[in-house]
Amino acid sequence: MIKHLFKLIWNKKKQNFLLITEIFVSFMVIFAVFTLVVNYYQNFKQPMGFEYDRVWVINYQSDVKIKDKDSLDTYYKTMLGNIKAMPPVQEVSFASSNVPFSANTHMNNADYKKVHVNRVNYYTVGDTYDKVLDMKLTEGRWFGKQDDAATVKPTIINQSLRQQLFGSGKAIGEKIGAEGSKRSVVGVVQDVKAKGDYQEAGLAMYERIDTSANDGRGRILVKINDKADAAFESRLYKLMAGNSNNSGIEIEHLTDKRKSANNLTLVPMIILLVVASFLIINVALGLFGVLWYNINKRKGEIGLRRAIGASGNSVSGQLVTESMILATLALMIGTFFAIQFPLLNVFGLAASVYLVAIALSIIFIYLLVLVCSLYPGKQAAAILPAVALHEE
Amino acid sequence: MIKLQNIQKVYRTDTIETLALNGINLDIAKGEFLSIMGPSGCGKSTLLNIMGLLDMPSKGSINISDQTTNNLNDKQLAKFRNHKLGFIFQSYHLIGDLQVLDNVELPLLYRDTTAKERKRLATEALEKVGLSNRLKHFPKQLSGGQRQRVAIARAIVGNPEIILADEPTGNLDSAMGNEIMDILLQLNRNEGTTIVMVTHDESMAQKTHRLVRLFDGSQVQ
Repeated sequence: MIKHLFKLIWNKKKQNFLLITEIFVSFMVIFAVFTLVVNYYQNFKQPMGFEYDRVWVINYQSDVKIKDKDSLDTYYKTMLGNIKAMPPVQEVSFASSNVPFSANTHMNNADYKKVHVNRVNYYTVGDTYDKVLDMKLTEGRWFGKQDDAATVKPTIINQSLRQQLFGSGKAIGEKIGAEGSKRSVVGVVQDVKAKGDYQEAGLAMYERIDTSANDGRGRILVKINDKADAAFESRLYKLMAGNSNNSGIEIEHLTDKRKSANNLTLVPMIILLVVASFLIINVALGLFGVLWYNINKRKGEIGLRRAIGASGNSVSGQLVTESMILATLALMIGTFFAIQFPLLNVFGLAASVYLVAIALSIIFIYLLVLVCSLYPGKQAAAILPAVALHEE
Repeated sequence: MIKLQNIQKVYRTDTIETLALNGINLDIAKGEFLSIMGPSGCGKSTLLNIMGLLDMPSKGSINISDQTTNNLNDKQLAKFRNHKLGFIFQSYHLIGDLQVLDNVELPLLYRDTTAKERKRLATEALEKVGLSNRLKHFPKQLSGGQRQRVAIARAIVGNPEIILADEPTGNLDSAMGNEIMDILLQLNRNEGTTIVMVTHDESMAQKTHRLVRLFDGSQVQ
């Protein structure tokens, strides 16, 4: 029977072409949606890699005119000390502007022997940055006093960058970077999802802040306890205003920044889902209409099949199977195109994301076609053969 | 072979009740070639549909090949039609998107037969009606007479005991009509197939063993 139906479909290829095209286009749209959803879900399942609760970010513009390096170092240490001395503060650290959940990135490359890695986010951080964010070291150590006299600047990398640069080899003590600006890896930290719950951690490299320069001190991260309130925030603001002697001070909470970062990811996703839903409804109605039209157009054939031995159920089954075969043909074309994405590594996503999205899209399209063909198929089964043959 | 007892068929709408058949009693013997005549709307096709189990009577019982069919369910009826009955229609009812051979194979698709066996039987049936050279043609490439011959091949491919023909020569000129009639007579004579034919053509009816006339849903001869 399947061979017979293939023959019937092939002989009606002109009529079926539009339906196959419609299913194919729907598959590609669904594939795009599922790719995003699967990617976001896989990212969401990964641990954050740090604690953002009760961490505040102080944005300030330093206009300190101190020229002497030691005096500058003392000035900033005093500033941090004053903040840390406030009762609700547990830990404090300088950081570059690309703090977690911010839109800023400091992208650069990382090289190790013949391995060249692009798009590494460079963070310039203080010695207590890991404690403020409760980051997890997987190898080596964080920055400390022992790095003051280091001849090669120390660096800490995240797990993903470690994997790309060293694979399963040794990382600690290895030198990375271009000749003349080599860094020595002293630690490896767990990946940090700094762009929100739904974005991948990416590659990260942490550099120790220069204690005697103004560069890289655009932000201060403050870890506070649960007693910190609006009054404390006001006091903190006043302290910073007194220290930096300008009004460009802003205090943000990482929890709020996380929400904003997640919204930036989710809102376009929701819009795409809404658009895709309308498209699916259109496709479903289209499929339903075409199948319904086919039944009315093929009443004579249905009557004939009933007369020569087809039961109502087998007529219904035939129509549903025909639709599924059409869907299969469309899905074969669609899968051919979809499989190019992981093969060509188009958007740099993991192959598993595309493969899961392809599988989900196939299941979705089959379900859609099944649902759309079940009722017309049932209606066809209910057609009385004598009536159908008479109408023809 | 076919025994109809007190067959009544009533078509009902919200406001109108139409008596299409009224108290038809008919016995058709095995190997008989019977024709049914009557004016348009007298119930000929309705009677044929009831004999072919394509429609159910409002009253009365049908017995075909010693089996009472009144209580068969949809699946059983379909199987019964497939094995015992062959149909020929005035408008051929060929599937335009299938080649001649595939059209003839159709009844065998609803049986447990292999593709090879189906092809063999369909080719044999087409040879019987003189169309073995048109296997790969589509219906629209054939003349009316040829199409009806394909329909006959489809009706006999499953070797049914009974063939029900609803005005098989109605769409054909007299020469082609005679050709078709000859094939049916040959089938009846050589294979012993019982044939019931509805016709408007008196000359065709005269060639059959027996003529039944209907008028306003009742049997008058």
